[in-house]
Amino acid sequence: MTGGARSRLLKLAPALGAVMLFAASCASDAPQDTLKPEGPAAQKIDNLIKPIFGIAGVVMVLVLGGALFIAWKFRARDDDDFNEMPKQIHGHFKAEIGWTIAPALLLAVIGAFTVNLIFDLAQKPEKDAVQVEVYGQQWWWEYRYDLNGDGDYTDIITANDLVIPAGREVALKIKSRDVIHSWWSPRLNGKKDAVPGRVHPLTIEADDPGEYIGQCTEFCGLSHAEMRIKVVAVTEDEFSAWTEHQQQPFEKPTDEAAINGWGSFAGQCTSCHELTGMIDPSSADDPSDATDEFVFPQQKNQVSNAAPNLAHFMTRSTFAGAMYDLRKDTPECTALGTTWASTDDGIEKCLNRTDLEAWLRDAPAMKHMAPGDVASLNSRGMPNFDLSEDQIDDLVAFLTTLK
Amino acid sequence: MTTNDGALALGSGGALTAPPMGVFARAGQTKGWRSWITSVDHKRVGIMYGAASLFFFVIGGLEAYLIRLQLAQPEGKLLSADLYNQVFTMHGTTMIFLVVMPIGAAFMNYLIPLQIGARDVAFPRMNALSFWVFLAGGIVLNSSWFLGGGADGGWFNYAPNNGVVFSPSHGIDFWNMGLLLTGISSLVGAVNLITTCLNLRAPGMTLMKMPVFTWMSLVTQFLLLFAIPVLTAAQVLLMFDRLFGARFFDVSAGGDPLLWEHLFWIFGHPEVYIMILPAFGLISEIIPTFARKPIFGYPFMVFSGIAIGFMGWGVWAHHMFASGIGPISVAAFSVATMFIAVPTGVKILNWLATMWGGKLRFTAPMMYSIGLITMFTIGGLSGVTHAIAPADTQQTDTYYIVAHFHYVLFGGALFGFVGGWYFWWPKVFGYKLSELHGKINFWVLFVGFNLTFGPMHILGLQGMPRRTYTYRDGYGFNFWNMVSTIGATLIGLSFLYFFWIIFHSYRAHKKAGVAVGPDPWDARSLEWSLQSPTPAHNFDYTPTIEVFDDFWHRKYGEDEDGRLVPVATGAEIAQPGNGEGVHLPSPSYWPIVLASGMPFLAYGLIFNLLLVIPGVLLIVGAMIGWILEPSTDPNADHGHDDEPSGPNDTSDVAVEPAANDEGDAVADEANAPEEVAAR
Amino acid sequence: MSDATYVVSDGHTVDHMDEHPPTSTGISNEKLGMWVFLASECLLFGGLISTFVLYRNKVLPSAPGETAEHLHDAFDIAFTSTSSFVLLMSSLSMVLAVSAAQRGDMRILRSWLAVTALLGTVFIAGQFYEFYEFSAIEGFGFTHSPAWSAFYTLTGFHGAHVTIGIVILLVTLGLTFRGRVGQHNAEAVEIVGLYWHFVDVVWIVVFTIVYLIK
Repeated sequence: MTGGARSRLLKLAPALGAVMLFAASCASDAPQDTLKPEGPAAQKIDNLIKPIFGIAGVVMVLVLGGALFIAWKFRARDDDDFNEMPKQIHGHFKAEIGWTIAPALLLAVIGAFTVNLIFDLAQKPEKDAVQVEVYGQQWWWEYRYDLNGDGDYTDIITANDLVIPAGREVALKIKSRDVIHSWWSPRLNGKKDAVPGRVHPLTIEADDPGEYIGQCTEFCGLSHAEMRIKVVAVTEDEFSAWTEHQQQPFEKPTDEAAINGWGSFAGQCTSCHELTGMIDPSSADDPSDATDEFVFPQQKNQVSNAAPNLAHFMTRSTFAGAMYDLRKDTPECTALGTTWASTDDGIEKCLNRTDLEAWLRDAPAMKHMAPGDVASLNSRGMPNFDLSEDQIDDLVAFLTTLK
Repeated sequence: MTTNDGALALGSGGALTAPPMGVFARAGQTKGWRSWITSVDHKRVGIMYGAASLFFFVIGGLEAYLIRLQLAQPEGKLLSADLYNQVFTMHGTTMIFLVVMPIGAAFMNYLIPLQIGARDVAFPRMNALSFWVFLAGGIVLNSSWFLGGGADGGWFNYAPNNGVVFSPSHGIDFWNMGLLLTGISSLVGAVNLITTCLNLRAPGMTLMKMPVFTWMSLVTQFLLLFAIPVLTAAQVLLMFDRLFGARFFDVSAGGDPLLWEHLFWIFGHPEVYIMILPAFGLISEIIPTFARKPIFGYPFMVFSGIAIGFMGWGVWAHHMFASGIGPISVAAFSVATMFIAVPTGVKILNWLATMWGGKLRFTAPMMYSIGLITMFTIGGLSGVTHAIAPADTQQTDTYYIVAHFHYVLFGGALFGFVGGWYFWWPKVFGYKLSELHGKINFWVLFVGFNLTFGPMHILGLQGMPRRTYTYRDGYGFNFWNMVSTIGATLIGLSFLYFFWIIFHSYRAHKKAGVAVGPDPWDARSLEWSLQSPTPAHNFDYTPTIEVFDDFWHRKYGEDEDGRLVPVATGAEIAQPGNGEGVHLPSPSYWPIVLASGMPFLAYGLIFNLLLVIPGVLLIVGAMIGWILEPSTDPNADHGHDDEPSGPNDTSDVAVEPAANDEGDAVADEANAPEEVAAR
Repeated sequence: MSDATYVVSDGHTVDHMDEHPPTSTGISNEKLGMWVFLASECLLFGGLISTFVLYRNKVLPSAPGETAEHLHDAFDIAFTSTSSFVLLMSSLSMVLAVSAAQRGDMRILRSWLAVTALLGTVFIAGQFYEFYEFSAIEGFGFTHSPAWSAFYTLTGFHGAHVTIGIVILLVTLGLTFRGRVGQHNAEAVEIVGLYWHFVDVVWIVVFTIVYLIK
């Protein structure tokens, strides 16, 4: 009976461990699961850690089972003579040397594999890797692409969605504009901190097209929980189409509401937001005749010195630090990919107008931010501008032209 | 014996004597609250450390519960993001600096002098000072709740998020000042206890005969001695940045945020061992007692503790694997971190080997000790998985880490402490905590603990980042967060239960009118050779030590067949508790006066420098008084009234014979009435 | 009750033992405590020195438009060397004070204590002058740049230690007049000396790293 109890116990423990791992890895919908790698880097990490989880599980079962076994076997019995002392053992030198050396050897083996992988993951990315600068700031991510390899990362400036070609390496250069953040998309690779004043490289690659969710993982203040990351992996063809589209110049709006919104944008929003190549609507009497490029102020009213560049805003799927969907999260809309807003029909069906308007109405109510006093340049996040409903409609109309 | 005439009554022993400065009478009370605030008795200081830590534990626990309530469901609305950030920061800071560290200090203060056969610590007044400064620090830190909000940068408060620009409230200033004060307290305590351990050992108590707890405490104090000043340096930089416009962490001027990370973790990693080693020491006393065997491999236990202490300095950057410190550093720290598991593993296997072949009595302290071994093993193994640096980049700053450090700090340190409370309670207060309730309490806590922190492993691996005030539906986080919150409720209940057990056991003890004998557990170290509660003067005469576990070896000898047999009970060979002729360090006002100047400095630096003036006056005045006051009042009578250190008047004691019962079988009978000695 | 196994050690009476308990190491508690404390101080200065070394080149121009100057361009090595020499000499006078205390020569003891405090004060005065020179005349204040913040913090912390040392010396001096310090507890002077020498040694390190190494 006792042996039976013991073996039951020994069977139970790994079963419990298995249940835990199962629960962790097979939860129905866990887009940030660290145990479901979908890129080479994450896969390598997974290949290393899964066996180690196994070893740790065995050690755990042995130690915990051993402790329970010892506790049960050597328990004092009711009928024991209290004065009967157990054998007094002061130690066993060889055994102790043994259990000093054995784990050390085991760890040395694990250590060798670990060091190997550390240097493997730190290798320079391949030559054809997409070059992207990643800027963390309170509480969103900006992505700047260098497409032609000239070291100038302004070919595309975008935010929230990191669009990459599946099956090709992407060399990220991670930076910060204010505090320390950490860029993490767990199914592609481990995290890397964005430390102001430093550049940290990280190579990611997605095996297949798809969306890979992540979020900031170094505490960075108020809305740390809502500083989200979305990697959108597309096919090579879609990627070249996307890059080409992103480099298209600004198109002046034509419809009246959008023109009004353009004016409001140039008047108010540009003290923080940029919009690559925007024409200054006030450079001609009639905005539709305007040709001069808008001169954005050097000094932004932001601690971190910038708000998202809104060029080709409508190719993104999220806004407000990837906290809110810009493109509705329905299978139909998601299937439209980055070109969802290329048609009026797409905008009609898929634009998340409710949240976008609410954001313009009162941004701080939508996301915890510290807009502070814009005039004193200590603003962190977007303030409430007390816009009228008409202004909001105009601005939305303008934003929807930023295809 | 004096009678207790209330707080204002003067004890007859230390009568008011000639004012040392011609102004103040020397403190002389032995009873009432004044006797506590002027006490320099290491036992009272230890008790006050324990009581204050429990108070802060309640605060930190409430903060923890707020966190769990907020996260019970997705999109929790109980706390705003701002408040949540303050609550988790203050929870971590409180639990580390105001709970785990000072509970360790409570045990160390109380037990070290007793275990090495000393009258008191080397510097009794400084000992009182370190407690009062600690309390001042705790109050300054927590007063932030009433003065504009708590710190909101997380307990490691990375730069530059800890700067004025990003944290404009005074919360982080309070954090900084409060921890500078607790740092002073730790430093004073470290100097004191290291000197005590090295210098005040009884004749024959060589270093390699010291109990394991004293050894672990000594290692801990050395870690504090060297780690605290590094934190202090970092905090000074932060203070100058925040309050006086220095540019240490101003990135635009060339400041480097990683400087803070390095300084913080050079302190912060030894800090981990500062928190766990005292608990390791405690269960190294408890397990041999209830296994009725000596600790297995004493030298290995000692040297593995020392090894942990040394290696703890070479692994700090494993907190920074994602910080971009370069692959060579990462590889070096990764391997170093793995190997710190070796001495820890040695300890765990040696505890198990101590139990092996023993006759295990499953008393409440023993159960908590086994709880520590098992739970710490889980925490240690998850720790090894963090040492795999590439894997750590997936795990760090997720709930997997939160699970890990709660398994080592709650399942490790706190389980050890609770076990220690059950074990030493009779020595400190003269009555046992209920064994039956203690065991039930253990199971409630054990289940609650695992329900709370076990699921966090899963949450972390599913990618739930720590320090987030909210999470979304659809990420697979919902179920386990709810489980965790239910577990936290159980933990809360188990501590309410614990407080009730204290009350209940005290009442049972009062009703029975019987105190436990000097050696209720048939234990091994010197403190059990004294009456319970420990007399104010500790030892009637200094014991001479011949072997490790000397007290135990006086109780057991070998018969003609070489079999081990009891030759005397603990009660028979215990010192009778007659303090006649003993001259104790006299109580003093100056430690508390000096400490009371500290908050003025803290508030002065934060709010208005004018407040610094009264602070400086108090501190300088107290120092002058301190220097002019001899540590032992030459005018005090010999032969203090021998008040027990505990708050309970147990002057009439019927000594219970050494426990020759099987603890768990008789459950509550430890406090059962026995014949009260004739008055 | 049998207590045959316990003996009162060394034939001291219990009472007498309490007055002057022999220590396990043979070093007095006070002296050992001071050594332990100074070991801790090493790490405090270690942290601040590391900060300085990391930041020594993080300089900014003294005014917009000018080029950033290195700290050494502001230093007057000759001046600081002189004040360093004064501080080193105070270690010598401290040694003489300790020796006088051990001999019980109170007059000489007081003189050397006073001289040590005076030399320390001269050093501090020099530091004040230097700080004034850098901040008010040359425009490199505490808040100027990381390098200067680190400079003032490191040297200022050392200065604070010297100042505390001066106060301790003066208190010791005062206590000699009350008969509380003298031959009977010459060790007290020795312990003060330990602190003082430590502060001097730290200055040698700080001076070398801050002023001499470019």
